[in-house]
Amino acid sequence: MTRVTWRRDLTWTIGLLGLAVILGLMFHWPLVQASLRGNLTALLDQKRQERREVQFQGVKTLDLAQAYQIWQEQKALFVDAREAKEYQELHVQGAVNVPPETWEGLAASELMKMDRMRELVVYCSQESCDDALKLAKKLRAAGFSRVMAFTGGFRAWDEAGYPADTSR
Amino acid sequence: MSVSVMRFVSSGVGIVLGGLFVYVGVQKHLAPYEFAEAIQAYQLLPSSLVGLVAATLSWIEIVSGISLILGCLLRHRRFSNSFPPDGILRRSGLLLILGQALLFVVVLLITMARGLKIDCGCGLFFQRQVGLESVLEDVLLLGVAGWLYWREVKIGGREEESLTPVQSKL
Repeated sequence: MTRVTWRRDLTWTIGLLGLAVILGLMFHWPLVQASLRGNLTALLDQKRQERREVQFQGVKTLDLAQAYQIWQEQKALFVDAREAKEYQELHVQGAVNVPPETWEGLAASELMKMDRMRELVVYCSQESCDDALKLAKKLRAAGFSRVMAFTGGFRAWDEAGYPADTSR
Repeated sequence: MSVSVMRFVSSGVGIVLGGLFVYVGVQKHLAPYEFAEAIQAYQLLPSSLVGLVAATLSWIEIVSGISLILGCLLRHRRFSNSFPPDGILRRSGLLLILGQALLFVVVLLITMARGLKIDCGCGLFFQRQVGLESVLEDVLLLGVAGWLYWREVKIGGREEESLTPVQSKL
């Protein structure tokens, strides 16, 4: 490849890169602006909340304090919606695991043999994951009327130092 | 394999690769806040830069994919001296794709080494965690883009020369 061609390729590549950056800035300026001003976390929390209100309409959510209170009162069964290996490593004491890969066959799972009035608290790994809400929605559709999603996830539980178990 | 068959195969592979980049880019463009969350979870960038990267990376994927697809489609046009110069869209699109794939592999390896268990934000068709699978997926993309670029640089010129007399007879 000649030096001229190589230089021409690089010039075009940089040109395309510039075009992409301009398009990105044009379409997503509010996101860039919030980030530069240090308001990114607040904006992402707000957008996540807005999206969840639409996507998971009707699913009741719990914060850390509410989830811990329910756990202390032993009123509900905690359902861990994370991958099996994460559950085995550490999980909320007494929780059962329903990993995402088993959701397709949920109808045949042990959980479905339970009383539909049983209170369930579903959680996943952290605040930003949607798996707890997704599983809670599926369980509601399967007839469990008292399902709640603990949105802080296992990270919040673990960071608070609340009781956890390992399956290893 | 004959020169024209190989050209056809590399055009097909280029269109598929470009299409994949356009597809993942559009997904990210349509969900910029989720993508920003995914980038934030890597904990590699200061918060002030996360928005900029989330906003532009999706368009870098789209532009590089479109460039490669157009370059492959324009390969078979009749007049080789028209604008843009032949091969430039393919090569520049491929250079951008190579750069992105390399960046993704490095970021995934760093994240694996740090032991972070996060969604990679990079799955082609479904979400997955950072791990060997996501690294292999990006290594595959890197390999395919590398092969196409190597063909463009090393063989492309020779193929054009060998095809020219055949075309002139038509």
